[in-house]
Amino acid sequence: MIKKTVYSIFILVLCCFLGNAQSKIDTLSINFKLKFNKEPLEYHKQYITSNRDTLAFENFKCYISSIEIFYTDNSIFKQKDSYHLLDFENPSSFLIPITHVNDKLISKVTFNIGIDSLTNTSGALNGDLDPINGMYWAWQSGYINLKIEGESPSCKTRKNEFYFHIGGYLPPFTSIRKIELIYDKEANQINIGMDLNKFFTNIKLAETNSIMIPGELAMKLADYSTKLFYIE
Amino acid sequence: MRKHWSYILLLGLIILISLSFSYQLTKPLYFEVPKNWPKPKYDFKKNPLTEEGFQLGRNLFYDPIISRDSTISCASCHLQQTGFTHVDHQLSHGIDGKIGTRNSLALINLAWNKVFMWDGGVNNLEVQPLNPITNPVEMDEKLEHVIDKLQRSEKYKTLFIKAFGDNKITSQRLLKALAQFTVMLKSTDSKYDKVMRKEASFAKNEQHGYDLFKKNCASCHKEPLFNEDKFEKNGLLIDGTLKDSGRIKISGKQEDYLRFRIPTLRNIQFTFPYMHDGRFKTLKEVIKHYNSLGHNKNLSKELANPMNLSDNDRVDLLAFLLTLTDKDFLFNERFSFPKE
Repeated sequence: MIKKTVYSIFILVLCCFLGNAQSKIDTLSINFKLKFNKEPLEYHKQYITSNRDTLAFENFKCYISSIEIFYTDNSIFKQKDSYHLLDFENPSSFLIPITHVNDKLISKVTFNIGIDSLTNTSGALNGDLDPINGMYWAWQSGYINLKIEGESPSCKTRKNEFYFHIGGYLPPFTSIRKIELIYDKEANQINIGMDLNKFFTNIKLAETNSIMIPGELAMKLADYSTKLFYIE
Repeated sequence: MRKHWSYILLLGLIILISLSFSYQLTKPLYFEVPKNWPKPKYDFKKNPLTEEGFQLGRNLFYDPIISRDSTISCASCHLQQTGFTHVDHQLSHGIDGKIGTRNSLALINLAWNKVFMWDGGVNNLEVQPLNPITNPVEMDEKLEHVIDKLQRSEKYKTLFIKAFGDNKITSQRLLKALAQFTVMLKSTDSKYDKVMRKEASFAKNEQHGYDLFKKNCASCHKEPLFNEDKFEKNGLLIDGTLKDSGRIKISGKQEDYLRFRIPTLRNIQFTFPYMHDGRFKTLKEVIKHYNSLGHNKNLSKELANPMNLSDNDRVDLLAFLLTLTDKDFLFNERFSFPKE
């Protein structure tokens, strides 16, 4: 009897562990791929934008939140606590596990660039939302949704640097943006490209090179950032 | 008999497991709201108060370890005896003697504030400390350095274990602990409060001053907190060197040009100098300023009608303001420098 009890407790505990350990193969994940003109992005490498600005990147960070997977049978998977910081210095942050793979066909993927207003007013948070990640404004509470920094000879700034810190959650300058991507492939990994040239196509770096506060300009840049994403 | 044993074993295990979940080393603290006061705006559910969390926050508040060169603590600009503000300096100074652009605010009854700072730029008490920590003229430190320093400190390892159950030191825990201390800075025992509770009564001049206050000041400095989460234009001309335009910087709205927070008047006797740039040294000057506004289109509507206070009225109004002093708060040992 004692043996039985011990065994059953042992098996129970084992089950708990097994439940957590999920093998990678049966996990549906999203893999974001940062690019410039369809080439994988590298820091400090020179690129030329469609606007003929030569530039090089030094920093790229972006919040992706509220990921939802739509299936052809009209069911939806909504990821819980879905807040992810993509940081180019941390390549593993670009691969986001979502849920178990199943037989259903995916029809659409949606997510937000940036952080919702409720989370912006929720005080001190942890993990990807920790202000230590350098994506939080102290003087005007709120997350920076997207940060792109680098240099370009077109910028008549100190060290020819450009800074785009796009954020702001208070209306009318709400800079969070929703992305909807139609999906029609069968796969357990959704590959989403992010082409920075699509962002810089809209900008002349000689004129626009330093945005670090919420406002109308941040709103424009937030609109441009929606052009980054495409299904690969 | 064997069956009996296995039952005891199982029962013991269940008790042990449930104990490990329920046994708490922390002592919960309760935030009492005085009778007839509004509901606090701070969300206590997300940061349950404990004695250990409060004490950790208190230690952090008084420790210069959170500044770049360990010279400036929160208390450097927020001294208890003066209502947790920086007296005698128009503009508060921080690291290397550098001077900021604003007069530090008093830390009083913060549980009832929704937004913070003179321009309301901060939206939650917990994230407020990020400003002084990272501001180059205050503590000029990086959050990750603060965490590093705390992780290396035996004292803080112990204090974090006491407050949170393990020695993981994160920015979230640092900020939550600081909030546990600052949210407890409650001033509710001034003479005014005692009169309201019918435990004391105003002198004749104080009562007259109170009547004048209710007529002329209370629409913005609302009782019982004597402040509001609002921003108003009070007729001060912009300082030519500081060029501080106020709330407009946060909201981007033209109507917010030169609007600043309505600060609390509790303990106002000791929180001099006054206004966002500390331009008035005495309460007399403050009252004189409001009394001399006259008709002015650029003022908030609450100030549209001239006050027309006589010399005696002004003296009595001042007498009332002094009844907002709360010595129990200013000298409460629970809020003072933590002695080992």
